[in-house]
Amino acid sequence: MIDTVSIATRPVRPAIAGALRRLPEYLMIWVPLLLSALHLVSFSLWTIWISFTPSTLVPVSGWVGLRNYTAVAASRNWQIAFDNLLLFGSAFVLLSVVTGLVLAILLDQRIRGENLLRSIFLYPLAVSFVVTGTVWSWLLSPGIGIQKLVHDLGWTSFKFDWLIDRDMAIWTIVIAAIWQSSGFAMALFLAGLRSVDADIIKAAQIDGAGPIRIYRRVILPTLWPITITVIVVQLQFAISAFDLVRALTNGGPGIATQLPALVVYDLMFQRSLLGRGAAAAVLMLLILLAVLLPYAAWRYVQRRRAIHA
Amino acid sequence: MPITTTRRRLLAGSAAALALPAFARAQGAVKPRLTAISQWSAGSDGAAITALGKKFEEKGGVWQHSPVPGFTTEMMNKLRAQIMAGDPPACSQLKGPEIAAWSKIAPTVNLDDLVAAVGYEKVVAPDLARLHKPGGKWIALPLQIYSTNMLFLSKRAMDKAKAGKIPVTWTDFNDLAEKMKAGGVTYPIANGGTRPDDGQKFEAALAGISPASYRAAIMNLDEKALKGPEVGAAFAQVRKIADWMDPNVGAQHFSTNLKRFVDGDMGMMIMGGWAQGVLRNAGFKFDDFIIAPGPSDNTKPVFLLNADAFIFWQRKEPDLQAGQTLMAQLVMDPAIQTMYSQITGSIPVRTDVDLSGEGWSDGQRRTAAALKDAIASNQAVLSLAHNMAQENGMTAAMIDVITEYVKNKTIKPEQAVTRLAEAVEGAR
Repeated sequence: MIDTVSIATRPVRPAIAGALRRLPEYLMIWVPLLLSALHLVSFSLWTIWISFTPSTLVPVSGWVGLRNYTAVAASRNWQIAFDNLLLFGSAFVLLSVVTGLVLAILLDQRIRGENLLRSIFLYPLAVSFVVTGTVWSWLLSPGIGIQKLVHDLGWTSFKFDWLIDRDMAIWTIVIAAIWQSSGFAMALFLAGLRSVDADIIKAAQIDGAGPIRIYRRVILPTLWPITITVIVVQLQFAISAFDLVRALTNGGPGIATQLPALVVYDLMFQRSLLGRGAAAAVLMLLILLAVLLPYAAWRYVQRRRAIHA
Repeated sequence: MPITTTRRRLLAGSAAALALPAFARAQGAVKPRLTAISQWSAGSDGAAITALGKKFEEKGGVWQHSPVPGFTTEMMNKLRAQIMAGDPPACSQLKGPEIAAWSKIAPTVNLDDLVAAVGYEKVVAPDLARLHKPGGKWIALPLQIYSTNMLFLSKRAMDKAKAGKIPVTWTDFNDLAEKMKAGGVTYPIANGGTRPDDGQKFEAALAGISPASYRAAIMNLDEKALKGPEVGAAFAQVRKIADWMDPNVGAQHFSTNLKRFVDGDMGMMIMGGWAQGVLRNAGFKFDDFIIAPGPSDNTKPVFLLNADAFIFWQRKEPDLQAGQTLMAQLVMDPAIQTMYSQITGSIPVRTDVDLSGEGWSDGQRRTAAALKDAIASNQAVLSLAHNMAQENGMTAAMIDVITEYVKNKTIKPEQAVTRLAEAVEGAR
């Protein structure tokens, strides 16, 4: 808890001296911070500007109003990408949180070889998404992967062809993405589980609560700030997903697994429509903001509440 | 032996070295130099352009080729960056309608005099020539030609079907596919699952049904032709082809299935002439397959043109200008075109090159003959799937519809016709 009154009444001069003494530290932080902010903001502004110009092969000045936006929003590619994002985003986030939480709880049982298991579950995170996508595209390809293996083992009516099924292909991306990143959720949850005060758990045990009840009523409620963090991190991954999809399905079969980032790349670099690509990128930014702004607001409210508590 | 030198000598040497280019220029004898970028870095493509570079050096030039491996679009990103920086290469790979589009963003070299000097225009297919002279001036030169609708027949699959006749029309083709299916060929059509792969099936179907309709609908984007019955018939033919394909290919490259094709597990392949080179590189023999022109309902060969080309960007440096002249002369030279096509498996751009000699395959001879016949009957048209008929944006919009149609069997041909027309309207 911070005593606000004492800060306000502190003498001014020592504050300046303190700030001067800490100047090198501020410089160390502010210069790179300014540079990266400038870099980020200027390129974002530039992209926003391009999205209102008739640019095609190279950036040109000019003003076309919202024409690029309406063209992108009306295109089948974008509509499919947006629907896919809703499905992929919600399924991926939900399932990776659940998988991560279950893994963390299982690992939390003080089992033997925990370090080894933790490394195994975390390992996929160290692998590039392109590698994940390529490996899963082999595994899921019916002609050479899991389906063929099961057929060769003798179960010939077995069918697992989601990769080439237009309606199910998006789920292959969900599977690969969960494999890749549930370890990350697990690590965060595990840290949360371990930070629960042992005294509280003991108190619950003394009161006669069983392990399931302790988890449900005592431990898990303390995890929800971590859950929110995991959800936000995974969501921003889902919105900007590119390399995994490109390696796994490349938007196919047909254009069934398009995602916004693929549409941006396709418009900018394959169709040479810089203006429309920029418009699609700005739309992606807006979707991201729709996730991040409520999160920032929530954090702000949390902090205010902590201060006034 | 240690090399010793005095400061004075070093200075004199440097001065001489600095003065040398100016001196050479004054003498009117600049050493031709060429900066070039292309995506050709490996395999037969890399070997061919390296051989071209050797020829350039033999003529006294300095060859500075920077390959950008990967997709054509990656080469284009490099080109875009160099043009925006005001430092374009003296010449770069570019093809089809992109030549006209890109020529608007940076000045190009007028090659009219060089082309006229060797009477080149008379020996190039008219539609192809038109692509390389947007605004009426030659600014780019085609290098080699492929047909995207060659028909590859597996000898073993033909044996299984007890068929000996090469199909000429689409009806023949469909009959043969049925026979193969009945004879135990699992998938009568060998295929990959990439976008150009799907696009090629459609363009081969439409051009084979009616080259005139293909020209009007795909090359000229005529609205009536786009909604015409021929386009519907082409989609119906593509559905038949799709039903005979292996659905388990995902987004694989066509070359993945070549072994099954040669083994007779798959029967026919509609693919560009480059597949010959791929088959040969994979160790298969000419006896394993037959190459013929793609099906054509009026029985005269239809040729879907795909041509690689170089565009020449304006530079002020005299040595680069001399290099551009030399490069243009080389690219138009029948001997150079022969050398290049023999390495890559394509056919020469010039229609007057004799392919009867050593170093050419029967497939190449048949392709070249088909091109000659197709030009004579006005049936040489530009490939959509390989970015020859339309600019990239329009091509991508059309291929979206086609690839979705191939993969989604619930879409009816009539629906596909409407969607294609809508996609064209949206991309205009």
